[in-house]
Amino acid sequence: MEDNCEGCMELFSQDGVLLKQAHSYYIQYFNESGTLYITEYANTKDRFIEWKPNSVTVHSDSHDSEWSFVNAIYRGEQMSPQPPDSKPKYIKLDMNQVRSFKVSKKNDTMTFFDGKGEILCHFFFQHGNCFSLFAALKGLLKTTVSKRDKNIHIIVDETLQLNKSFATLDLFQDSQSASIVWGFVRSFQEKPVETAFGAFAKIGNTIGNNFMPSSSPQPIEEEVITNDVKEYERGVESSDGASPKDYEIIHSSPELPSRLQYPRGNPLSYDQWTALQDSEGRIEDVEYTKLHIFRGGIAPSLRKVVWKYMLDFYPWNSSNADRKTILGKKEQDYYDMKLQWKTLKPWQLQNFVQLRDRLSLVEKDVTRTDRTLPFYAGDNNKNLQAMSDILMTYVMHNFDLGYVQGMSDLLSPILYLLQNEVDAFWCFAGFMERVCTNFDADQAGMKTQLSNLYILLKFSNPTLASYLDNQESGNMFFCFRWLLVLFKREFELHDVFRLWEVVWTNHPCNNFHLLISIAILEKQQSEFIGEEMGFNEILKHVNDLSGKLDVNDILDNAEGLYYQIRESSQLTNEVRQILGLPLIAESSPKDDSTDSIENELMANVDKAYENGLHTSYF
Amino acid sequence: MASNKKILLKVVILGDSGVGKTSLMNQYITKKFSNQYKATIGADFLTKELIVDDRAVTMQIWDTAGQERFQSLGVAFYRGADCCVLVFDVTAPNTFKSLDSWRDEFLIQASPREPENFPFVLLGNKVDLEPRGISTKRAQQWCQSKNNIPYFETSAKEALNVEQAFQCIARNALSQQNQNDDLYNEFPDQIKLSQPSKSSGSGDSCAC
Repeated sequence: MEDNCEGCMELFSQDGVLLKQAHSYYIQYFNESGTLYITEYANTKDRFIEWKPNSVTVHSDSHDSEWSFVNAIYRGEQMSPQPPDSKPKYIKLDMNQVRSFKVSKKNDTMTFFDGKGEILCHFFFQHGNCFSLFAALKGLLKTTVSKRDKNIHIIVDETLQLNKSFATLDLFQDSQSASIVWGFVRSFQEKPVETAFGAFAKIGNTIGNNFMPSSSPQPIEEEVITNDVKEYERGVESSDGASPKDYEIIHSSPELPSRLQYPRGNPLSYDQWTALQDSEGRIEDVEYTKLHIFRGGIAPSLRKVVWKYMLDFYPWNSSNADRKTILGKKEQDYYDMKLQWKTLKPWQLQNFVQLRDRLSLVEKDVTRTDRTLPFYAGDNNKNLQAMSDILMTYVMHNFDLGYVQGMSDLLSPILYLLQNEVDAFWCFAGFMERVCTNFDADQAGMKTQLSNLYILLKFSNPTLASYLDNQESGNMFFCFRWLLVLFKREFELHDVFRLWEVVWTNHPCNNFHLLISIAILEKQQSEFIGEEMGFNEILKHVNDLSGKLDVNDILDNAEGLYYQIRESSQLTNEVRQILGLPLIAESSPKDDSTDSIENELMANVDKAYENGLHTSYF
Repeated sequence: MASNKKILLKVVILGDSGVGKTSLMNQYITKKFSNQYKATIGADFLTKELIVDDRAVTMQIWDTAGQERFQSLGVAFYRGADCCVLVFDVTAPNTFKSLDSWRDEFLIQASPREPENFPFVLLGNKVDLEPRGISTKRAQQWCQSKNNIPYFETSAKEALNVEQAFQCIARNALSQQNQNDDLYNEFPDQIKLSQPSKSSGSGDSCAC
């Protein structure tokens, strides 16, 4: 991204970010729109928040008046700008300097503070979408919400979660440093944000930057921050009141806050993937990796590798050596199971009608799965044979479920991508673990999904829900195909890859595919209602959308919808439950169990980790 | 549907997976055959305008997934059907054995006013393929046992008897609708459909 950024990796980027406040060095860029990055240097693992202005400025009177308090102190300077070369070209903020950050209620500003509660930088997000940055930060850092202001997030140092190790290793040779660390730990009285956990292996870095060099290191003092913030806030709030700033409202309904845009990020690249692994090939920060994939997908050439993690072929924390062992075992298991049905004698099959029927159904479906793709075209196609063998072996792998129509649609893209029978089998089996209830004999899983879809639609778009209801379509049957095979029939193959890997991340919530469904449906709303479509027409219209949908646009909107729902003041537990959000029935049970903050933190990390691994979303 | 003049006939095609339901529907409507139809998921329909007994009608043909477990969602799609087309594969005896349960399932889910008189048509598809698993005679016997269901032997691939079969289906659907429209007294009995079809190997056909 930047010529002087050698060996640095871009972890996050977002454009449409205005610089509102920073050191006066940067005054020439105030109110300019630019791009915000999070970068990481491969060698040192140091992370930076960087902001680079666009060439075009976006000064306007309304902005100026709205934000006048910010500029007031610098007004004079701004009148006589320095020659451009004498000033820094962009902002680069060491993440180690940042001790807390604040997200405004409208999600359109983010402010970074240092350890003394001084403002380091204050950014305004033109599209009101600072959630992306927030999510990225949460993926990188452990944070805890300030007790006094829930919009302030205090960065929990990684040292905290490693304190056990510190204690045993006795890394702090002078007692002063140690007491600082433990004082720091004790200063947390609140349960840390449960989803946040980051890299474990940066001990040296953390100690070095935060505790060792400083002559008088200061643990975070929440009071200090809050006082500063209060003052700062008064300014923000008064200016907030002055003019509405709802940028880029795409959709609004009475129940929900405005829809914001969540443009997709860059796909996970090979270099980034490599950098995410430790020296033994373990993925260090699973949630961050998933978040990256959620935002931008995976580079096509890398999918083959990463899908094996996404589909539980390899555990995320497996080392290179582990994977070798796992692969050997999986190969053996696969061929054992394959042999079980391959070696059945004709008379055995003759008297085993359940198996025979399944095998014949497999044959019927394989010959009509994606035959228009060159990969599966033509007679005596080896790939068709592989598909058939995988599905039949799956019948042996899970005989109770067996083969159900739709499964060949789920396998086809996986086999196409991996081009290896054993890999494809186990990845398919991993996928099936997530979606097996779609294939219940009594269709209970599908019925639940359709009903959850209706509940979410009714919450997010009551107009459309009630229209569908009146047209006998409240059962959402017209979405059956979408949900059964996760939109496989609706998009061309590479878009299916993209959509699936996003859904597999389990970000930003459970059942994100239902929000994807709603994002598609709401675009059809005007046609449904305008053309007074009934049950038949709606079904036909929805079936005919196949091949006409824009995957990125849909993902943007689905993510936007998620935040709208999450931020809604009328959010119900029913909706929370579907999306896997914490229910609000009971108030938080243990508030000040001061003695075992450490245990609690570790438990939360474990829980978040568990959640990350068990990504079933149905 | 709003206009009184326009007649909409709803036809539902049922039968085991892979017997050729989608292919028959597409052959009739688009006059094309493809080996590449995907397994139907959920349901879909196609419509065709045609003249039956000098009346312009729109036939709406519903195609659903053939695997048994997906039928529990079928009720929404069966509702209001004027005729039910049962399909089996003449080379696959299992698909013939399932016919009873398909018929029963339809009658339960669609619950027509007079189940015993509701029009079914049976299609034995894939007659272009060898070897035969179910003889013409056996299929005809089954049809007779079910109140003389018309029977056609078809090949969606070679467009054999498809047009004739759907003509018959349309007539049956129309007469069913007329009965439901209280024209009932003009047709006190089930129409007898006993003339053999002109195509080879086929048994009972449409009387019209």
